[in-house]
Amino acid sequence: MTTRRALALVRVRGRSMLPTYRDGDVLLVLRGGRPRPGRAHVVDLPPDPAGRPRPLAVKRVTGRDPGDPARWWVDADNPAEGVTSFDVGGLPDEAIRAVVLGLVWRGLG
Amino acid sequence: MLSPFRITEVSAHCDLPCGVYDPAQARIEAESVKMICQKVADNDDADFRVRATIIKEQRSELVKHHLWVLWTDYFKPPHFEKYPNLHTLFNEATKLAGASGTKGEFDEAKADELLAKIEEISTIFWETKKA
Repeated sequence: MTTRRALALVRVRGRSMLPTYRDGDVLLVLRGGRPRPGRAHVVDLPPDPAGRPRPLAVKRVTGRDPGDPARWWVDADNPAEGVTSFDVGGLPDEAIRAVVLGLVWRGLG
Repeated sequence: MLSPFRITEVSAHCDLPCGVYDPAQARIEAESVKMICQKVADNDDADFRVRATIIKEQRSELVKHHLWVLWTDYFKPPHFEKYPNLHTLFNEATKLAGASGTKGEFDEAKADELLAKIEEISTIFWETKKA
């Protein structure tokens, strides 16, 4: 997160951040700051084994990668779903794109 | 891409091309089922048998789930062309994990049949990975 600080809006797709964030939730995020362990972040995941790019994702940065202190460990809040550092390893600084500040909109139901 | 003026979609999804598949998931659950059958054969405790029944039901369901994920998400039309018995294998394997198989009975032989089917699927799976 080396760019200038700026706010942005993102919409969550999928269930891997349940129970914290639901499909359809709109989140306010801040680009350009340092990763904050314990908080949810917008991250770039590496390409899948077939080389296809993965979409921009929302994951929780739990802390440094225990195997490589220069990288960040990311996890899903929903243990049953989601691509995590257990699948893709730790992420470099530049893959941590923004920190989630909070929920700004949630649909009914 | 990330902007305050438009909403960017961010994925919190599993069923995206994560591309991580392995028949070992189904095999490990099927091994649990087999072990439950063995343990129940040596144990008359009513509470233990109830728990074993419930857990065997759940593990059998997980076998079906993992096999279906391979069937629908991993294997593609060219695989089914190259291995014409693949559909039948999945059908037979998931039946063996169902009510007429390991869900319905405490039969170790059924669990062995299930493990053998999963092994056949696994062999094909790893052949397609080499290709």
